Amino acid sequence: MVQLRPRASRAPASASAMVDEGQPASEEAEHGLLLGQPSSGAAAEPLEEDGDGDDDLDDEAPEELTFASAQAEARAEERRVRETARRDKTLLKEKRKRREELFIEQKKRKLLPDTVLQKLTTASQTNIKKSPGKLKEDKSQKKNEECEKGNESKKVKEKIQSIGQNKSYLARRLKDQDLRDSRQQAAKAFIQNSLYGPGTNRTTVNKFLSLNNKRLPVKKAAAQFLNNGWGKVQLYFLCYDSFIY
Amino acid sequence: MGEFKVHRVRFFNYVPSGIRCVAYNNQSNRLAVSRTDGTVEIYNLSANYFQEKFFPGHESRATEALCWAKGQRLFSAGLNGEIIEYDLQALDIKYSMDAFGGPIWSMAASPSGSQLLVGCEDGSVKLFQINPDKIQFERNFDRQKSRILSLSWHPSGTHIAAGSIDYISVFDIKSGSAVHKMLVDRQYMGVSKRKCIIWGVAFLSDGTVISVDSAGKVQFWDSATGTLVKTHLVANADVQSIAVSDQEDSFVVGTAEGTVFHFQLVSVTSNSSEKQWVRTKPFQHHTHDVRTVAHSPTALISGGTDTHLVIRPLMEKVEVKNYDAALRKITFPHRRLISCSKKRQLLLFQFSHHLDLWRLGSTVATGKTSGKFLVPGKHGDTLPLSKDADHLLQLKTKGPENIICSCVSPCGSWIAYSTASRFFLRRLNYEHDNLSLHRVSKMPACLRSAVQIMFSEDSTKLFVASNQGSLHILRLLEGSFKHLHTFQAQSGTVESMCLLAVSPDGNWLAASGTSAGVHVYSVKRLKLHCTVPAYNFPVTALAIAPKTNNLVIAHSDQQIFEYSIPDKQYTEWSRAIQKQGFHHHWLQRDTPITHIGFHPKRPAHILLHDAYMFCIIDKSLPLPNDKTLLYNPLPPTNESDVIRRRTAHAFKISKKYKPLLFMDLLDEGTLVAVERPLDDIIAQLPPPIKKKKFGT
Repeated sequence: MVQLRPRASRAPASASAMVDEGQPASEEAEHGLLLGQPSSGAAAEPLEEDGDGDDDLDDEAPEELTFASAQAEARAEERRVRETARRDKTLLKEKRKRREELFIEQKKRKLLPDTVLQKLTTASQTNIKKSPGKLKEDKSQKKNEECEKGNESKKVKEKIQSIGQNKSYLARRLKDQDLRDSRQQAAKAFIQNSLYGPGTNRTTVNKFLSLNNKRLPVKKAAAQFLNNGWGKVQLYFLCYDSFIY
Repeated sequence: MGEFKVHRVRFFNYVPSGIRCVAYNNQSNRLAVSRTDGTVEIYNLSANYFQEKFFPGHESRATEALCWAKGQRLFSAGLNGEIIEYDLQALDIKYSMDAFGGPIWSMAASPSGSQLLVGCEDGSVKLFQINPDKIQFERNFDRQKSRILSLSWHPSGTHIAAGSIDYISVFDIKSGSAVHKMLVDRQYMGVSKRKCIIWGVAFLSDGTVISVDSAGKVQFWDSATGTLVKTHLVANADVQSIAVSDQEDSFVVGTAEGTVFHFQLVSVTSNSSEKQWVRTKPFQHHTHDVRTVAHSPTALISGGTDTHLVIRPLMEKVEVKNYDAALRKITFPHRRLISCSKKRQLLLFQFSHHLDLWRLGSTVATGKTSGKFLVPGKHGDTLPLSKDADHLLQLKTKGPENIICSCVSPCGSWIAYSTASRFFLRRLNYEHDNLSLHRVSKMPACLRSAVQIMFSEDSTKLFVASNQGSLHILRLLEGSFKHLHTFQAQSGTVESMCLLAVSPDGNWLAASGTSAGVHVYSVKRLKLHCTVPAYNFPVTALAIAPKTNNLVIAHSDQQIFEYSIPDKQYTEWSRAIQKQGFHHHWLQRDTPITHIGFHPKRPAHILLHDAYMFCIIDKSLPLPNDKTLLYNPLPPTNESDVIRRRTAHAFKISKKYKPLLFMDLLDEGTLVAVERPLDDIIAQLPPPIKKKKFGT
């Protein structure tokens, strides 16, 4: 809402001027109100003008724009917008292209050399015979040849005739192997814990063997000190011996 | 003569692996023993408890269960989740089958021997059918909550008892579902925090289930009602194993404290027919956990973490009370793990995953004094070392397999060893105190899994006995080899691991191990020369004497034969001693002879040793009869003439160096003795259970 300041006391002017001023001023003010111009700048204008007492501007009609000029302006605007859109599109396209190339290069770097890949594809078509001694793989671990070529962690199966470089491969699916290993580790940990873990009543071998020494009538030292084996004092010696002949 | 410089070697750090499972086969009287490193050994209990065969260990094959099935088939299962069948003739693994249940904790063969039951980590019990060539999965039983640690079949084959953690389940075979679930009290020394692990169960034919658990209790349950009948608290620690005899009138349990208890079914009073189980005898032969026990018709067998295999014959079951009824404790290996190069004074020690090469030290002092500073050598003197023993080389094997056998050539330039999948040959070059090692690559695949390797005396030929029974001869060239010949397996079943002997002149090769007897091959003509007649006890050591080419064979019943290879018959001396018979003390030794050697200058001397004595047999002296003293206890310097005349017989035995792993004559005046005191082994074992003694 525009707050209209109370009109400042005007300098007494001719009555007609007063009448004229009053009407256009009020018209303008109404105009401003009716139009509902939200910007306070536009509403403040008439007030300032009122204040200045610049009556000419108030009297002036708004600028007249010819249709042609407006059309030209609109077209120019459109063109500008179109151009910016096009530029943006081309920029984006280029960016995308560059990214794609980068990805392709990275992928290429990750893959095995072409020669090996070729050999693999030809080999997968031949009949693959497994050696009977190496049947350690699970049935679940039997991998078909459609493994992702990019995954380097999967090794080549044994006895592929065309690849004669290194015949000591053994194919294992690592996912299953991890599960198997973790279960085996858990089992070993269980046994270790139940036999030697906390709560079991274990002692060292030295203490165990020294118990007897403690109870002798003449107490002897612990086995660790008495026993040659622990101290590793004399592991090798030459001695002189004779036997009857 | 008679005076030797003796190299006493104690730096062979041999520690055997603990015993994990034993399985007794009644029909053939054989015992299968599996160790914690995966080795499975077969002992022939009727051949003087000799270890006749073994399957080398593997890091991933930690066996948890071992059992015999119908037809002498041996199965084992372990934490890698696989069931393995062993081929006792080819000395190889037939196949391994994954049970898909995770790590396998227990396995039991049905009383009929045609089915196999396996208890797994995930709580499932799986039934397998034993077919003539393989086993086949049949079905799963109801899955339980926790891992199945022990299994036992009812003698009729209709029910099984499975021990788990905190409870025991009884299954019905036909339906596969659990019929009863018996909860076990956790109480352990007044505290019930730790879970109660049922280490062993046994199912008797009257429906009683006997369980042993980690709280130290032996409990009797009635499987028909699922209730507890009786509890015996036998130990303050875990009771880890149980075995019932075939007649079901006695059983044996092993505890973690090393004690083995014998329970027997005795009548309540002398006339009544009512019987009850009574704990009769405790045996303390072990210091560490007794992880496994077995019950043969006449003996109790136990083995555990302290690596001894103890066989205790029961006096009431033994018919003839002779030396056979004595306690047998098998601690030291029955094969040679050490080879020696006499020229360079090298010793090669074989461990399970590496080899050690040592050079012996030397001394400038001799027994016979020459300067005024040296004291004349007395019996038992320790000589000052001018050069200490040198650790030259350590060869480690890559991979999880254990080394089966190894050998160093007499000239010291070649080392050969074999695992189950590969054969390795290495050439050593000695240049001015520097040692360099070269690998000989591309060994033929037929050499893998060799059970015995031997070099010829001049180190130009290599003889390899493979586990399939064939013998290979290779000629060694400067940095490579050439395959000369292969002798195929002869007829006859494989009775024990093959032993080889080569004559010093390189003409003859002797190989034992089959039921046909010892074969002697001519290396020059590359064909079979003759066969020593078969003897019903396996061969424990074999050697060919220089110059006379007499083949000396030692058997597991302590008999020794001497066979002349050129004449193709037993020698006079051999016939004489067979006629008279060996001294009874000689025949009562428990450990087998593992090495035979000869004196280079005296053809009448044979040097042999077992774990507790070494003996020089002088063939020119008269043989002892049963009345004379076999062991001469007096030192030679103080001896009087009378005693000397009385005890002058052919067997000169010394028990000074024991326990012996290897003994040989390096040259005329030098002996090398590799000892392994038992305390040194015990010092490296895992911790035992604490024992509380009053006053300590």
